[in-house]
Amino acid sequence: MNPPGMTASPEFRAAGTDISERRRSGVSKGPLMDIVPAADILGMQWGADGTLRIGAYTSIAAIAADSAIAAAYPGIAASAQGLATPQIRHLATLGGNLAQRSRCWYFRNPHIACLKKGGTDCPARGGNHLYHVAFDLGPCIAPHPSTMAAALLAYDATVITYTRSGLSIPQVLGDGSNGAADNALQPGEMIRGIELPKALQGERAFYKRAISRSYAEWPLVEVCARAVVKDGTFQFIRLAAGGIAPVPLRLKTVEAALQGKAANALNIEVAAKFASSGARPLPMTGYKLDLLEGVVRDLLEKLAV
Amino acid sequence: MSTMTINGRVAPLPDDLDAMLIDVVRSDLGLTGTKLVCGAGVCGACTVLVDGAPVASCLMPARAAADKAVTTVEGIGASGLHPVQKAFMAHDALQCGFCTPGFVVEAAAFHDRWRAAKGNATPSREEIGAALSGHLCRCGAYDGIFSAVAAACTGQFDGGDIIPPRVEARDKVTGAAKYTVDIHHDGQLEGVILRSQIAHGKIGELDFAPALALPGVGAAISLLAEDRIVRFVGQPIAAVAAKDRKTALAAISAIKLSIERLPAAIGLDEARKPGAPVVFEKADRKKAGNVSEGGGAPAPWKGNVRGPSAAFSRKPKQVRSWVEGARAAKDPLLVEGVFRTGTQSHSCLEPHASVAHFEGDRLTVHASTQSVFHLMEQIAKRYKLDHDKVRVIADHVGGGFGSKASLGVETTTAIELARAAKAPVRVAYDRHEELSVTGYRPATEVKLALLPSEQGELKALSLTAYADTGAATNSTIAALARLIYPAQAKELADFDVISNLPPGAAFRGPGGPPMSFAVEQAIDEAALRMKVDPIELRKRWDNDPNRRRLYDWALGLDVWRHRTSPELQSGRYRRGVGVATGYWLYLWQPGSKVEVSVKGGRLIASTATQDIGTGSRTVIANTVAREFGLEPHEVEVRIGDSKLPEGPGSGGSRTTASVVPPTLLAIQKLKAAIETNAKRKPAPGSNAPWREMLAASPDLTATSVRPEDSKPTAPGVESPLKQVGILGWIFGFMMRRMSNLAIGAGVPSSVQVIEVEVDTWLGHVRVLNVHTGIAVGKVAAPALARSQAAGSVIQGIGYALYEAREIDERSGETLSGGLEDYRIPGIADTPAIDVHFDEAGFDHVLGGSVGIGEVATVPTSPAVANAIHNAIGIRLRELPIRPDRLIAALKGRAAA
Repeated sequence: MNPPGMTASPEFRAAGTDISERRRSGVSKGPLMDIVPAADILGMQWGADGTLRIGAYTSIAAIAADSAIAAAYPGIAASAQGLATPQIRHLATLGGNLAQRSRCWYFRNPHIACLKKGGTDCPARGGNHLYHVAFDLGPCIAPHPSTMAAALLAYDATVITYTRSGLSIPQVLGDGSNGAADNALQPGEMIRGIELPKALQGERAFYKRAISRSYAEWPLVEVCARAVVKDGTFQFIRLAAGGIAPVPLRLKTVEAALQGKAANALNIEVAAKFASSGARPLPMTGYKLDLLEGVVRDLLEKLAV
Repeated sequence: MSTMTINGRVAPLPDDLDAMLIDVVRSDLGLTGTKLVCGAGVCGACTVLVDGAPVASCLMPARAAADKAVTTVEGIGASGLHPVQKAFMAHDALQCGFCTPGFVVEAAAFHDRWRAAKGNATPSREEIGAALSGHLCRCGAYDGIFSAVAAACTGQFDGGDIIPPRVEARDKVTGAAKYTVDIHHDGQLEGVILRSQIAHGKIGELDFAPALALPGVGAAISLLAEDRIVRFVGQPIAAVAAKDRKTALAAISAIKLSIERLPAAIGLDEARKPGAPVVFEKADRKKAGNVSEGGGAPAPWKGNVRGPSAAFSRKPKQVRSWVEGARAAKDPLLVEGVFRTGTQSHSCLEPHASVAHFEGDRLTVHASTQSVFHLMEQIAKRYKLDHDKVRVIADHVGGGFGSKASLGVETTTAIELARAAKAPVRVAYDRHEELSVTGYRPATEVKLALLPSEQGELKALSLTAYADTGAATNSTIAALARLIYPAQAKELADFDVISNLPPGAAFRGPGGPPMSFAVEQAIDEAALRMKVDPIELRKRWDNDPNRRRLYDWALGLDVWRHRTSPELQSGRYRRGVGVATGYWLYLWQPGSKVEVSVKGGRLIASTATQDIGTGSRTVIANTVAREFGLEPHEVEVRIGDSKLPEGPGSGGSRTTASVVPPTLLAIQKLKAAIETNAKRKPAPGSNAPWREMLAASPDLTATSVRPEDSKPTAPGVESPLKQVGILGWIFGFMMRRMSNLAIGAGVPSSVQVIEVEVDTWLGHVRVLNVHTGIAVGKVAAPALARSQAAGSVIQGIGYALYEAREIDERSGETLSGGLEDYRIPGIADTPAIDVHFDEAGFDHVLGGSVGIGEVATVPTSPAVANAIHNAIGIRLRELPIRPDRLIAALKGRAAA
């Protein structure tokens, strides 16, 4: 993706819930290309094998309200229900959610240079980064804003673009090492849809975000958690977190600590502490690790019930 | 060209890729019920239905509405009011009304969905909260909104029309109410301000030629003072008027200028350092803003620190010696601490805005102002115009909270651009401007020591307050601790720390909340150490008769009597109950006049005051109606126009106490005149004698001026300044002389008991219920007073838990310039709110009523903090109590 204002190649616009604000404030300029909501990028298609393809132009509200998604992929449905506000969800698209740009308050200020606006360094790093990453993985310390990306990561979803398919979420969003971009798509590459593998037998999932108010706030920390609990043990456990790193992260150490273990309060409490494995908090973001542990513990307890 | 159907009619859509749906709705179609507030999809004020679904029209590209059906608030009630609109009116689910159209559109959609699926079932608070989670109301009308939506869903409002307790409610729920931002004259230009991007610097020559060369640009003017110095990021440099905002923005970026960067001192810590760059040299000190409601007294001013202002101290040396002695003796009753509060932005949903229009030598200014009359005077004075050549109009004002009290840059810029461009000009701030340069309640650092005597009396109290006032002065925090809780000695010192940040401004009870946050927590702590009930201790230490009645009420509350203690709790969620007290001065504006007349048999009351959401229109209507035995809606109230008899500003909680007494006097006169002129007396035994008299009356008018109050006779009712002796008298005299504000006898008071639940895993505090006891005399408009009391609590919860302006300390840029980063409470954050009015205490005021606006918000933050302490046994000394701070406190770490 090209930094806006830096190039003549147009920025794609789906519903515009992110880009409209950036253009109003002057952060983003330059040519724009409206995506035409063709049939192949709209709506859901279930495969005979129980897989699901969701078109990139499908609205978040449609995903949130779909009872079949809620049954097969409850973490996807709950994530869609939990993000933004009703008026945004009615407009915003799945593709746009994945390809949206950072909410960093330095990036969003048209008067401040930053890596994502062609600048040479990150002003948040030595500045006010209260809402930034606790896993410092690259030059830019803004957390990735896509709630759906974390959910899709938890479900091993793949992304189809007009030029490639079978892309994992890390392939689409990168590893956080490129501070100039919010994703690793090629210039002009547009997302067509995502594919979800068949849900596991007996799996359940929950989504939770930690915020200061009740609703309508970008997450301080968010986690989508799936598990198969059988005979009182975690047969399968998968956790993906957002709000903490430049890209959504799998919490593999927590997963490993619980795989095959009894789904009891003690194991959960111990495993939740591993959520901060590999963390590199910034001076102002240490609290996010406590919140991460809390959210993970909350979700695991729900899964264990 | 594509089209949409809007409210049943076909309308063209522009081809411009950057045109948003809201632009078409408001500008092209003139449907101004839809409001632009945040421009980021956070607040919901711009919500419209697209094919039946509520969407944020500020983010939806206009071309995306092609072939779709759009419904705005004007369409919702087009064929008879929607049940939700009637319910909003009946439940007074609105105050300033600026957010109301958005809420109505969303709530109507929710209602229709709900009824289709569930018939007449009542939705829960949680369901309503989730459905309306994309809307923000700064007045805090949420309590009424909950009840309105629930009632509408049960079918209660399917029937006929209703008469609302707020007289202008119908205009607000239908989108018909015109605010300043909605004013449009023929040939009107849009004004935009070029602002400094550096915190301190000197501006060289301004070259307007490239801006003026752009087509559609009508004028460009300098806004610099003679010294050409800018002292904060966002300080105005120049302004441009152009045919539309887009052109004006292009024009201000075309202005050429050179800047000499000067060293800057940003924030409380930097500005206090020895050798810090000085923001105002001696000669420039008059350029500093004012964060209080009245003028300030002289104070020492060295470098960037102005103070101490310590006139309200009493035996300060004695305090120091006692406190040092107690500290040395390790007296367990000595409570000491440093309390910090965050910077609270007013966040009015209607931005600061003005529309200036010259017709010959006459100037009409529509302004979003808290003071139409005073603003007229200020404009006349500044531009050397006669009073009768200037007219200020504000039919409806979308919130003020102290930030719109006087002549602001939006107004001077609109006037100067209109004069230069020879065309009407509107200046309306965008959200970043609103959240950065229009003032704020300064952050504070308050050092406190409180020492009870061995007998359990309050012996000594010491407060030293440093306020982060930016390019402003006159913060009064510590001094306010003199007027409550008498002690043997008090050491009270206020300091302004001036820095290269935008100036603070008066904000709802300026200085009150930070004082209360420190003192009320200290008293709570003293009570715990003395093993005394915290309310009983307040009763012991506080001799004010109004508050003593409120303490008795609070002591009887079940939630207080059944509170638990932190030691008895474990587990993730813990509950606590806290109490706190607040007061404010009873202020009124001398010279306030009200005219009451009968014209064609109809009563009309007029005064040049305004309604910023507080309900002043209704207060006047109710007063007149009551005296004549009519219904309030039968009285026409004319306000919001400086041409009317001089009326009070809406600040300092002064409006009710300034308008009710002259209204009553004018009514007396008018009644006498009606009787004198009556050809015959009403029929004997008539149950509506005045109705008959009025119908038969010739046109008559009576005008009265606000009288002085009578001498209070109730014990203990006196001006709080009495406690300060001669200095208090001087302070009162100066307030009256310099700020035209009289400080009356009797102390408006509030006691709040608040229950919270703390999630110890996620650092989240949920306020469960609030009991707010308020003594402001007789309640002039009960439903509205209730709304304002509840809204004050909600704003106080914002201050306690969420709200903080965040800046970049190197550049001085405001980072929280949008409503996603400046976090005001949402509907789902609203607790159950029980409002208790104690109506005694102000019998010496004609009508018996004083204002409620400020006092009702003062004690909320310490009550929340005390409740958190009661839940987890940890005292949070810094606001807002966000998850990061609460988590750090729980883990025993210092927060970042």
